[in-house]
Amino acid sequence: MKDITNKLQTIAANLLNEGKVDVFLAWQKGVTDYQTSPLFVRKAEDADRIVFDEYSINNLAAALLKYRDGHEKIGIAVKGCDSRAIVRLLEDNQFTRERLYIVGICCPGMKDPLKAMKAGSALGATEQLPELAAKCYDCIQPNPVIYDELLGTEQTPRAGERFTRVAQIEAMTADERYAFFTHEFSKCIRCYGCRQVCPACNCRTCIFDEMKPQWVGRENNETDNMMYQLVRYYHMAGRCIECGECERVCPVDIPLMLLSQKLVKDVAKFFGPYEAGMEYVPGRKPPLSLYQDQDPDYFM
Amino acid sequence: MSIEKDGGFKPKIIVIACNWCTYAGADLAGLNHYEYPADIRIIRVPCSGRMDPLFALRALNRGADLVLLSGCHPGDCHYGTGNYYNRRRHTIMRELMQYMGIEADRYQTSWISGAEGGKFQQIMEKIVADAYRLGPNRKLRDAR
Repeated sequence: MKDITNKLQTIAANLLNEGKVDVFLAWQKGVTDYQTSPLFVRKAEDADRIVFDEYSINNLAAALLKYRDGHEKIGIAVKGCDSRAIVRLLEDNQFTRERLYIVGICCPGMKDPLKAMKAGSALGATEQLPELAAKCYDCIQPNPVIYDELLGTEQTPRAGERFTRVAQIEAMTADERYAFFTHEFSKCIRCYGCRQVCPACNCRTCIFDEMKPQWVGRENNETDNMMYQLVRYYHMAGRCIECGECERVCPVDIPLMLLSQKLVKDVAKFFGPYEAGMEYVPGRKPPLSLYQDQDPDYFM
Repeated sequence: MSIEKDGGFKPKIIVIACNWCTYAGADLAGLNHYEYPADIRIIRVPCSGRMDPLFALRALNRGADLVLLSGCHPGDCHYGTGNYYNRRRHTIMRELMQYMGIEADRYQTSWISGAEGGKFQQIMEKIVADAYRLGPNRKLRDAR
């Protein structure tokens, strides 16, 4: 990790000095040792603040959307999952490949900052800290799929029991599921953090911001929250790359990956085999923009 | 027109019909004097490719008890392919609703062509029966 940090710093400084990029997106140490936060480097002398460690869990790909208008060249450091997000953004024509300089990092798996912080404090002294963040146990692509430069040694996928949590929910009865999700969504404070941090949410005008017509009510109540999640995750179908950012940023701990993983599973089951963003094929469309004659229609 | 059943519950059913097939099918059903329950309200849109599942959710949210999206048979779409996209969207939305514990039968899709007045009548009878079976929509309904 130290080695990767050093290399990242050198690469970023060189790119900025040579004028190959205008801004370089990477991580810096956060307020505590357990955190990193995004760092947007514009001057070569700031490059030594770049850090890559086991808490560099942020997916920086969504931050690219800040630059989608304009001509600035952007350097970005990506892990395996982040690189899939970049492929999705490229497929959605948010960028041209030429504007990006991608430094791929083979990811050994990240730790959950909050859990680590708790375990490190007196509060969680009895709690066993899981070795990796929950999403990293489900990782099917630790190595970047698109890059200009690759750091680290190749890792093997860890997705042992990928849809276990989804299967547990599916095994419940409809009323139990409804009670479960209603309970979870009643916590929602409608901060829209899950949307803001999501690399798949790249519409210029979001349907939830639209006023005329106002499709989904903004009131913070059970039904409107249910509607919000239902619509937002429906829009994720075929786009979610399982980076787990929605669940990580959620301030009230809603297990949002339960929804996105369900969609990943369903899209693969009905229209697949398909995994979003595994390979950049210019002009390729996501599954809900395609069709086949033999698509399932058992419900009609 | 209709008799109140189930202690006064009368379902509100929205049928979103494609202009070229299902709407013509409804027209034919009327022309032939086929009787079907009066609990349905038809909204005409140009194509089933235009039918966002959001329409159905919004209707359910605002007090509908069942929503049917209906368009041309596969291969018959006036614009070529609109109904195929609708079919994919429907598959995903239906599964997601079920997963979240909402009765997926409140959100239905069917193919009814312009020549199928009889099928239109049958489907309307079926969805009205479904709506009575499911009862009032409480799970996705606006609480206000």
